[in-house]
Amino acid sequence: MKIKIENLTKQFANHTAVSSFNAEIESGQLIALLGPSGCGKSTMLNMLSGILTPTDGSIFFDDEDVTFTAPEKRGVGLVFQNYALYPHMSVLDNICFPLEIQKVPKAERTRRAIEMAKLVHVESMLERKPAQLSGGQQQRVAIARALVKKPRLLLLDEPLSNLDARLRIEMREEIRRIQQETKITTIFVTHDQEEAMSISDAILLMKDGVLQQMDQPQRLYDDPANCFVADFLGNPTINKLNAEVKDGILYVEGQPMKEINAAKLPQQRKLIFSCRAESIRLQKAADGLRAMLIQTYVIGKEMIAALQIGGSQIRAYMDSDKALPAGLEVTLQFRDKGIFIFDEASGERYL
Amino acid sequence: MKKRRNLKETLSPYLYLAPFLIGVIVFTLYPMINVFIMSFKENYKYLTGAFSGFGLDNYTTVLSDPYFQQAIINTFKYVLTVIPISTCLAIVLATLLNQNIKFKALLQTAYFLPMVTSVTAVGLAWKFMFNYNSGLINFFLNLFGFESINWLQSAGNNFLALVIYGIWSLLPFTIILLLSGLQNIDPLYNTAARIDGASPLRIFFKITIPLLAPTIFLVLIVNTISAFKVFNELFPLFNGPGVAYNLFTVVYYIYYQFRGLTPPKYGYAAAAAMILFVIIFCFTMLQLWLQKRASREG
Repeated sequence: MKIKIENLTKQFANHTAVSSFNAEIESGQLIALLGPSGCGKSTMLNMLSGILTPTDGSIFFDDEDVTFTAPEKRGVGLVFQNYALYPHMSVLDNICFPLEIQKVPKAERTRRAIEMAKLVHVESMLERKPAQLSGGQQQRVAIARALVKKPRLLLLDEPLSNLDARLRIEMREEIRRIQQETKITTIFVTHDQEEAMSISDAILLMKDGVLQQMDQPQRLYDDPANCFVADFLGNPTINKLNAEVKDGILYVEGQPMKEINAAKLPQQRKLIFSCRAESIRLQKAADGLRAMLIQTYVIGKEMIAALQIGGSQIRAYMDSDKALPAGLEVTLQFRDKGIFIFDEASGERYL
Repeated sequence: MKKRRNLKETLSPYLYLAPFLIGVIVFTLYPMINVFIMSFKENYKYLTGAFSGFGLDNYTTVLSDPYFQQAIINTFKYVLTVIPISTCLAIVLATLLNQNIKFKALLQTAYFLPMVTSVTAVGLAWKFMFNYNSGLINFFLNLFGFESINWLQSAGNNFLALVIYGIWSLLPFTIILLLSGLQNIDPLYNTAARIDGASPLRIFFKITIPLLAPTIFLVLIVNTISAFKVFNELFPLFNGPGVAYNLFTVVYYIYYQFRGLTPPKYGYAAAAAMILFVIIFCFTMLQLWLQKRASREG
């Protein structure tokens, strides 16, 4: 099912949780609703499920306007952050519950519930109570319960936040697999950029109730709309250096940067020169920005250098796997990709 | 390394416990044991401590006493009407009070008020309300075209008056317990069921009641025990066991044996108390067993 969100706004007593949100979601996609906590992504999800009514704007499922449709009539499956499995019911009864309400005959609902349990790999624990399951298993049951009524849209609220690191990676791949097998349009809320980057077809990145950018994960990374997007995605976080254009030349931390054409950049404004850690090359005594090596770290197979340049610290991936002594003077060269220039005040992107 | 405790260290914890222990021993344990022993002493004289025999004589006398038999019947009737009705009513009221309704705080206070008011004052108020000629209840009955009911002075109706008063006085405490039970239920279950299309009534019976079951069982046990001991309620309304002594309850019977008779029959009172103890004990065990079974089947 295709989803269209038009000008969606949610106003609470003293703040705007979501403001003028516009997006179109293709059928059968796995979408991540990403943003820092308090950015309105859960409000967004609750408006899609129908738990909250928007203050303004509309939501369309295919061509049907569902803005004011009651939750139970929308055909959405919702997986709650803490799963909300009914503690007094067995796994089978939990999965059967939505069908029981739809008055599906007992034999059929058991058959469909078992089919769902098989899809999410919990068919061996149908008789157990939720308290007897691990977090990951509860998550699987919650997904089965949401899917069993064949919803048009599956919504997951922070589906992985209650799981430990290893299980999180396993479950996010499971969500991807289940979504691809069922081909149900799925939206999941997360504050973890890595989670969003790794499994979604597209990311909707929000900040303060405003959609910042909607695109494929890699596009968000390679071509961020503004400073917030660039900053939010990527680990290590993108490096930020103070910059300014004077007399047609870009100065980064007070050093001239002639490689970049400053003609299109505004003069006399505080700018931010941003570069990904993998876009920097360390050189011994060559042309370029001078920086001082503070320390080198080895994380798994990667080696990262922490550098001091002017008043800022940056991180860069190193080509060699040889540790270099702290205090070493190096010069920096940049690749074409992963270099951006933003306005410091507005976050607007110039390059 | 094990350090050998000296006498002082061994005794000091008991010293700290002593105030509480002495209280329990003197005011709970000793009376309990004493009543148990007293129930076997025939023709026991409390002041001299003299008794004529030791055996089950008191029990056979009490059990064959028509007043006691009536007291048992009355007490059971009372428990079996007051407990189910007050529990159901309390569940409904607690659920309503748990909703987001207007004047919620005011209503909650109104329901809890009986708990903090004096039993005598409240009883008198009820006595006025039950009054045949000028009572509020009969006034409303007349208003809707019903005949006045002689609540207090008729042997046919005064049990009903007692039951109504009993239900009313059990409600506040029951509602408080159930309300706290309801507030411990995660509202997310409600939301989840609503998204699945469950009606409020269905959510109530399929989700809320099962999740509230532990609290309901607690309420049932506590209230059953207190209802079996129905006694206080008799005084403000009837100044005693009702017209023609028709409202004898077990505890009133116990009271009557050493307050209403000369010479007092301490042995009978003790035997009746032991019989009531056994009844309440059995009922509580039955409830605990049912609860265990219910939670196992879930």
